[in-house]
Amino acid sequence: MTLTVKEELIKRSPLRILEKSISGGLGKGNIGVLASRKGVGKTACLVHIAADKLLQDKPIIHVSYASRVDHIITWYEDIFKEIAKKPKMKSALDTFDELIRKRVIMNFKQDGARTEQVLRSLEAMIVHANFRAETVIVDGLDFTQAGPEDLRKFKDFAGRLGLEVWFSASLKKDDPLFDGQGIPFELKDYLGVVDVIISLQHHGDHVHFSLVKDHDRLTPKDLRLKLDPTTLLIAKDVRARVR
Amino acid sequence: MSTDIARMRNIGISAHIDSGKTTLTERVLFYCKKIHKIHEVKGKDGVGATMDSMDLERERGITITSATTNVEWADHSINIIDTPGHVDFTIEVERSLRVLDSAILVLCSVGGVQSQTITVDRQLRRYNVPFIAFINKLDRVGANPFKVREQIADKLGHNAVLMQVPIGLESAFRGLVDLVTMKALYFDGPEGEDVRVEEIPAELAAEAAEKREEMLDAVSMHSDVLMEAILEGRPTEGLVRAAVRRGVVARKLVPVFVGSAYRNKGIQPLLDAVVHYLPNPSEVENRAIDLDQDGAERVLTDDTSAKTVALAFKLEDGAYGQLTYIRIYQGSLRKGDELVNTRSGQRIKVGRLVRMHADTMAEIQEAGSGDIVALFGVECASGDTFCSPGLNLAMTATYVPEPVISLAIEPVDKNAADRMAKALHRFTKEDPTFRTHVDPESNQTIIQGMGELHLDIYIERMKREYRAEVKTGMPQVAYREAISQKVDFDYTHKKQTGGSGQYARIIGRLEPLAKGAYEFSNEVKGGHIPREFIPSCEKGFKAVMKKGQLIGFPVIGVRVVLTDGQDHPVDSSDIAFQMAAQGAFRQVYAMAKPQILEPVMKVSVEGPTEFAGSVFATISQRRGTIVSSVEDGTFSRVDAEVPLSEMFGYSMVLRSLTQGKAEFTMEFLKYGRVPPYIAELLTEQRLEKKKKESQK
Repeated sequence: MTLTVKEELIKRSPLRILEKSISGGLGKGNIGVLASRKGVGKTACLVHIAADKLLQDKPIIHVSYASRVDHIITWYEDIFKEIAKKPKMKSALDTFDELIRKRVIMNFKQDGARTEQVLRSLEAMIVHANFRAETVIVDGLDFTQAGPEDLRKFKDFAGRLGLEVWFSASLKKDDPLFDGQGIPFELKDYLGVVDVIISLQHHGDHVHFSLVKDHDRLTPKDLRLKLDPTTLLIAKDVRARVR
Repeated sequence: MSTDIARMRNIGISAHIDSGKTTLTERVLFYCKKIHKIHEVKGKDGVGATMDSMDLERERGITITSATTNVEWADHSINIIDTPGHVDFTIEVERSLRVLDSAILVLCSVGGVQSQTITVDRQLRRYNVPFIAFINKLDRVGANPFKVREQIADKLGHNAVLMQVPIGLESAFRGLVDLVTMKALYFDGPEGEDVRVEEIPAELAAEAAEKREEMLDAVSMHSDVLMEAILEGRPTEGLVRAAVRRGVVARKLVPVFVGSAYRNKGIQPLLDAVVHYLPNPSEVENRAIDLDQDGAERVLTDDTSAKTVALAFKLEDGAYGQLTYIRIYQGSLRKGDELVNTRSGQRIKVGRLVRMHADTMAEIQEAGSGDIVALFGVECASGDTFCSPGLNLAMTATYVPEPVISLAIEPVDKNAADRMAKALHRFTKEDPTFRTHVDPESNQTIIQGMGELHLDIYIERMKREYRAEVKTGMPQVAYREAISQKVDFDYTHKKQTGGSGQYARIIGRLEPLAKGAYEFSNEVKGGHIPREFIPSCEKGFKAVMKKGQLIGFPVIGVRVVLTDGQDHPVDSSDIAFQMAAQGAFRQVYAMAKPQILEPVMKVSVEGPTEFAGSVFATISQRRGTIVSSVEDGTFSRVDAEVPLSEMFGYSMVLRSLTQGKAEFTMEFLKYGRVPPYIAELLTEQRLEKKKKESQK
């Protein structure tokens, strides 16, 4: 019974829209980046992406730089609570305990953590501890400190272990943040290693998503998704296009 | 001796294992002139630190039971309880916290906030205990008190403020700057007993000024008067101290002190801080449960002329006979007073009344509310409340966790058997988390406790203190059984074999209960089961649930709903309905899809980052779930949930894997379902055991 409800929830998830828009998903060995100013909702999106995988019984690793573990745990609890509020999903919280068994949080302090060390620990978790994650989300990596070569290491690693890796990138420079094609200036150097870039922007009272790099395509596209300001879930944007 | 309650402090010293709290206590005793010589924990002189009064503690270099001791400093009377650091013994820590008014949280300047620090912090929070922090071991390589202060703020979420800055660090650590008086303090003499006050060294002046700013900023939040004074540029020592004190007592501020107990530096200022900033007993509200008023709470008064309320929080069997440590919450205690133990109703007469130092004592005539003293020759269990006749109060029951591990023990000979019985009797009285019973099936003596080390220590103590040699079996975890499905029952108990018969019929259902062990709900209408037999039914269910049919462990998580039934005017009886309940349960238990549950522990492993990978592997080999790993430069910490049955011998595995550089702590988290292949194994073992017994 719960299985069908779960299946339906997975099927109806707005994340299916996201996947459809990016040629069926990020894909193994690929790197995706959610880019925006601080405080727009990148972490919420990453956690929603992770929660969606967990619902599908797919293990994930949540890598975080400098955020406290208990804060991250709270994020998941909140997101699951919101998902559970959807009709018919009352039992979601009963299975919450089961779901989070498939999640490992790995926390690194930025100053001390070199990419090699982070990847070594990730490999230990996946290979030695036999935690067969296929998705890794990386929150809070400072793109102004790390360079394209760090992302290249992540990409090689993802390719070797068959992972898809989602990053958040905080855009910190002065306006304008984006060029004519909607590509963040700060990520220009990364275009060669990053497969998918999605930018999050305030548009009036809501946050909307645009796809600025989709694997080989560099044509900006409105994803017709928004971040629900009360639930912090990714949701369908039913309004007419405002652009 | 001062009896003024404002000049009294009851403090605990809490810390992660190996943060040096016993060393610290030793220095405190020395500077307060309670001892004349300092002994180290693992002393070369073979004497050992004064607070670790048991041989065993000396040998292992850890503190097991908390001895309490009284010292005097700056005309104040301070009772100190040295609390054990190992998680297996948290009942001792928790009991101490119940009794204390405030604490010093000791942290290592290298290790900082460690897993146990977090546990202790949680306990301080639970009992609302105000505290100050002391960052110890500033002489050690890698010492960084500033980072540790940050950790107290970030990891524990406290408003932590440095009250001192060190002069030099590691081997160059020489003294400290007091940010309230803005003076440099040095500790001269062979044991650091002479405090030399000087001007702040020029090279530290800027840093000290900056840290003082920070301190005043944080502290002035707790006093408008101070805030004003700062704005006018004249904050006085007195104003600053009063504001810090207010912040501490309200648990809104944690002043941080630094030093090195081992190098005899920074202890006297810490004692001053206890006097300045920690609350006296009258500033802490204590409540008791009124047993005559259906458990209503009552606030106690610190009035020494009020009727007496006191709590026995620790028993000790020492060289001088049985000693009962007691905290007075209200009224006073005089030699010859008559008191009532409100648990047993027994009356006692106060005989010898003493104030305790770690191994010696001073006889006193009386003690007032707020004080901690010891009584001789009183028969009671720890946790008992004593009141003046006419009062029937109980101090709030201290939370006692259920034991999670058991071990069969067998005395080697008849003499050992007698001594073992004596030892067990004593231990169970001292420590409510340590239990013992005789298994009716195997006839073996079983001891139960909170972990492997917990039981190990008691086995050792039996040998040493009671000369009772015992053989031990394999440790056994405390499994539980639980139903996972709703099931109806309709059962008739009938017996007619001459004489009066037995008849009872009950109808209802069993439901899984997510939280809690057991619930009973009576929904019988129309008196189909006479009211007087409802408790009989409940009694029957309770009895049968003590032993599940899968592997013989208690059944938990069951809600029994009784909906209907039938009695017989002559043959129905209490026993008939009890039998019916038991029969009903047995009949439908299998249909309720019973499962085996096992204790799952919250495990924290800390050590150098290079071993993190190996630690991950050990957790996954043990059916564990890694919750998180945190890497902070060279230091890492892994938090995981692991079944207790897989944790036996883990300390040895970890030690050899990491060359002793990593350590772990664990505590009970929850009961979790056993995977099917293990459930099968357990059921088989149970069957085999039964078969063997029936062949005997």
